[in-house]
Amino acid sequence: MSGRLTDADGRERVEFTFEGDAVSAYAGDTIAMALWAAQAAALRRSSSAGEPRGVLCNMGVCYECLVTVDGHNVRSCMTVVRAGMVVERGGRQ
Amino acid sequence: MSDLVIDADVGVVGAGPGGMAAATRLAAAGLSVAVLDEAPRAGGQIYRQPPVGASASVGIPEPPSHDQGHALIHEFERARLLSVHGATVWDARPGRLWFEHEGRSRLLRCERIVLSPGAYDRCIPFPGWTLPGVVTAGALQVMVRGFGVVPGQRALVAGSGPLLLPTVTALLGAGVEVVAALEASSRWRALRAAPGVIGNAARRREAVWYMKQLWRHGARLQWGWTVFACEGDGRVQRAIIGKVDADGRPRRGTARTIEVDVVGAGFGLVPSIELGLRLGARSRYRPERGGYCLVVDEEQRTAEPTVFAAGEICGVGGAEVAAAEGAVCASAILGELDGRAAAPEVLRAARAERRAADTMLRAFAPLPGLNELARPDTLVCRCEDVTRKQAQQAAEVHGDSMRAIKMGCRAGMGPCQARICGPSLQAMATGQNARVMDRPVVQVPLKAVRADTIRNAPEAC
Ligand SMILES: Cc1cc2nc3c(=O)[nH]c(=O)nc-3n(C[C@H](O)[C@H](O)[C@H](O)COP(=O)(O)OP(=O)(O)OC[C@H]3O[C@@H](n4cnc5c(N)ncnc54)[C@H](O)[C@@H]3O)c2cc1C
Ligand code: FES
Repeated sequence: MSGRLTDADGRERVEFTFEGDAVSAYAGDTIAMALWAAQAAALRRSSSAGEPRGVLCNMGVCYECLVTVDGHNVRSCMTVVRAGMVVERGGRQ
Repeated sequence: MSDLVIDADVGVVGAGPGGMAAATRLAAAGLSVAVLDEAPRAGGQIYRQPPVGASASVGIPEPPSHDQGHALIHEFERARLLSVHGATVWDARPGRLWFEHEGRSRLLRCERIVLSPGAYDRCIPFPGWTLPGVVTAGALQVMVRGFGVVPGQRALVAGSGPLLLPTVTALLGAGVEVVAALEASSRWRALRAAPGVIGNAARRREAVWYMKQLWRHGARLQWGWTVFACEGDGRVQRAIIGKVDADGRPRRGTARTIEVDVVGAGFGLVPSIELGLRLGARSRYRPERGGYCLVVDEEQRTAEPTVFAAGEICGVGGAEVAAAEGAVCASAILGELDGRAAAPEVLRAARAERRAADTMLRAFAPLPGLNELARPDTLVCRCEDVTRKQAQQAAEVHGDSMRAIKMGCRAGMGPCQARICGPSLQAMATGQNARVMDRPVVQVPLKAVRADTIRNAPEAC
């Protein structure tokens, strides 16, 4: 189980959706960190085997955390959440 | 066009200790400086700041070196310079840095460039390393210290090198049970690091601080151990750990299973040199510094005279080295403008830091036997789903150069551009564990960006 260091973090809450499910994040979270804290570790399916993949480097190098936002593939570990964002699991580039 | 193109005297890539030290000094001397960094805030990897308004770092004790970090950030954020965050540099030429920023394609034009893009975790493939929940050691630090996210309840940390300590202490500080903390090097090998620590006051203080933290939590490093495999249904639930011999070869008879819900594996760092190579810098293989590093002269100048480099890009060495070399870049550039050499005391300080770091890190140079952790069906390239066996077949048929292996099985052709698999791919494909990888080939875009960023690039060449 993952979670947050402090519940009263001091930041505003930001709501977005991942695969249609509502997720509540803190302003300034990356998509990857908001999803990790919400127990959603699998972010994309791998290119040929279709295996679940998630964060590896958490600093923009590995591209394992790709998700789709507004039709664009983005690295979820480098993309800060916005209210109302519609995030879908990433697939092959 | 307008704000899509920025002009400055000096363009700096990276707002870590290296980039901040250079930029702050150059700005103080009256030059116009623009700093580009992918991260949302200044600090770089070690001094990463939590999001604005967050109380995320509360309760996580900081080592003494972070005082220097706070001072650097304080000065940097008050300096008269332009700092662009969320800016991914994807191509460069001397005097030009192309970057993607908030979905727009932008360009920085400048007389000189200072590169300080840092390093990233070295991965070594093992069965189950692709399971969600298995991340790099650095990723766990970013989670805890950068975002206040508690990664799990029961963690395994495994790998090699001084960065295991901040990872373990961040987890302990966040209340995570660290079931095991495994350093692949033997205690005897690690003793070789001692002169680099004992001879340098800051490193000595840092080491003592970490030892105290571990002791307080009743935690300890197990020397000569590593992770053999991870297992779980859809995410990691168990890890198999065991002893390795002096070369890092797994001793399968010692294997045992532990229950964990998160694993951080980091076998040192690899310098991010691609941007430097693209700009015409030369590189050299230095195992104690993490692999291929940029070659610079004593004023941190690369083979391309308008491009300077500081910090991990010249070889892994830590924040003190990065800040000292950043100061050299600034002194050298200001010297050039005045027709004199860089200040000797600034050069001396950087040389001393680098020497101490090299001595320390020699004890953690990559152990070749760890390449035996991967089984024939273990994925080595995660982007293209290539197994070790497929990479071996590619090497047999096409030859054992990096190029031949890539062409033969697509390993290293995905969006990470072989940053993750590259350092150990050839060793694994050829079965020569100590084999050094070929020099990385630079691909443009240097980082995968949107197609329209490339299409709409100002002054595209
Ligand atoms: C995850 C992680 C955690 C670390 N923790 C510690 C620690 O606790 N203690 C310690 O002593 N050392 C730590 N290190 C080592 C650390 O990297 C160095 O000590 C120090 O941060 C190096 O400074 P630097 O200026 O060379 O690079 P960094 O601090 O790594 O800064 C480089 C900056 O460049 C940016 N960048 C890179 N490429 C691009 C690009 N193409 N476009 C735009 N921006 C780019 C990055 O976003 C980053 O902010 C850590 C390293 C990593 C990877
Ligand atoms: S986790 Fe590696 S790029 Fe996002």
